[in-house]
Amino acid sequence: MEATIEVSGLRKRYGRTTALDGMTFRVRPGRVTGFVGPNGAGKSTTMRVVLGLDAPDEGHALVGGRPYRSLRRPLTHVGALLDVGALQPGRSGRDHLLWLAHSQGLGARRVDELLDLVGLAPAARRRAGGYSLGMRGRLGIAAALLGDPPVLMLDEPFNGLDPEGIVWIRGFLRSLAAEGRAVLVSSHLMSELQDTAGHLVVAGRGRVVADVGVDELIATASRARVTVRTAASPEAARALAGAGATVTVGERDTLVVSGPPAEDVVRLLGACGVPFSEVSAYRATLEEAYLDLTGGFSGVVR
Amino acid sequence: MRRELHAEWTKLRTVPGPGLLLLGVVVATVAVSGVAAGVMDCAAAGCGLDAVRVSLFGVQAGQALVALLAVAVVCGEYGTGMVATTLAAMPRRTVTLAAKATLVTGLTLGAGVPAVLGSLLAGRLLLPGGGFTPEHGYPPLSLADAATLRAAAGSVLYLGLVALLATGVAVAVRDQVAACGAVLGLLHLFPIVVLMVRDEDLQRILWQLSPVNAGLAVQATTDLASMPVGPWAGLGVVACWAAAALVGGGLLLRLRDA
Repeated sequence: MEATIEVSGLRKRYGRTTALDGMTFRVRPGRVTGFVGPNGAGKSTTMRVVLGLDAPDEGHALVGGRPYRSLRRPLTHVGALLDVGALQPGRSGRDHLLWLAHSQGLGARRVDELLDLVGLAPAARRRAGGYSLGMRGRLGIAAALLGDPPVLMLDEPFNGLDPEGIVWIRGFLRSLAAEGRAVLVSSHLMSELQDTAGHLVVAGRGRVVADVGVDELIATASRARVTVRTAASPEAARALAGAGATVTVGERDTLVVSGPPAEDVVRLLGACGVPFSEVSAYRATLEEAYLDLTGGFSGVVR
Repeated sequence: MRRELHAEWTKLRTVPGPGLLLLGVVVATVAVSGVAAGVMDCAAAGCGLDAVRVSLFGVQAGQALVALLAVAVVCGEYGTGMVATTLAAMPRRTVTLAAKATLVTGLTLGAGVPAVLGSLLAGRLLLPGGGFTPEHGYPPLSLADAATLRAAAGSVLYLGLVALLATGVAVAVRDQVAACGAVLGLLHLFPIVVLMVRDEDLQRILWQLSPVNAGLAVQATTDLASMPVGPWAGLGVVACWAAAALVGGGLLLRLRDA
């Protein structure tokens, strides 16, 4: 099966609220696609439509070219994590995976493999109701991977995780994409996707407002600016501004300079006798790039 | 449906609730039957009481626990949100509902047999003490008697039908408390309304429609001619309720967002 998710012209209303308003995008294999946007942008609804849980009023969603509800053993095509809290508290983590495995014709051996893989084996026979959010997250990832699917779809997997868990999931997602899988990860916090997502689908008010590569996005947002690190920032700022550059004060001892290229900045500071320790090309963070991108769309960032 | 059955069976056996409720069905049925058999008196021949029916009285308590079992199995998933996982793993919703209904009903029938046999045994032991003696026209309860056997088998089937009915209603209602209210209301309010209605024709019609009144006609072994419906026809009424609930619940499950 082709590892893709295709979402085309989805529209959905809940009463007076428009949840989806022409949502259209395609998730390709081999990279992590971040699905971002503020809460209420339609990310979760889109995922529920892809999984056949909610029916769209218009449009369609395909997984590997097929509608989800036509799949006979769906977890071998798509693994999904929608809500890490959606467990019956009295059942152990292992038994939760076991019934899921049985629903796909898989056995207990596969369950134990995954418990080892996500590091949940020591707690596997305890009631899931007593699990921490991090453990529930790991259990959810194990459930998503149960059928070894070529497509993965995770809704806010970072929510409630400790830093260790966030680092773990990021590494995990990168390696899954490197294996050639299509990975779609939603998040309302861009910083969580830093260094993980290779592509971004930005949603706002039920539709896609941007569908771009992360490198391209960051390059655009960085806009050939230059970072200057100096202990004498007031003098440096005065000198650079005098030469027509726009200067903003960055974090500790840094200035972000737009206008002149790096060579000119070095020459200018040298000519004025202002000491500096570093001049480098400025690289925007993913969060900045995102804000830069969505700033132009009213209502996207609340 | 094999995978759906396997998955639903694994779900049922890996939480303590269903097992305890099934045990509760047996205990409650036998206990209430025993109490009924213990307190009923037949002072003289021709007292007009149906000894089989008295000793199966606990089925009315057991049915409440059967309803709770079905509602817990269905609505427990809606309460936790796990139903999304279930329907994502098993997108053929009608098949998944069929698997759930099959298991809940099968387990109910399995618990119904000891519940009903225990009730009859309690009746056989306790009824003679209350005057239900051969001298008063009551031979000891025995399954060798065709009417008693029909009452016993019918009571087990009745519990199974209540399980189907409750499963259908639970799928349609989704909320645990509301579903309990709906099923128990349907089962227990109908007989009360029947008692309160003055008009005899209306009373007869309501009696024929009431799942408990009509359904438990299968327990009657005396005075069959005076009953608004016959034993098997009464069970048919419950079957119609169960079928309607399952079809309605199944349609809603298919059409609604999970």
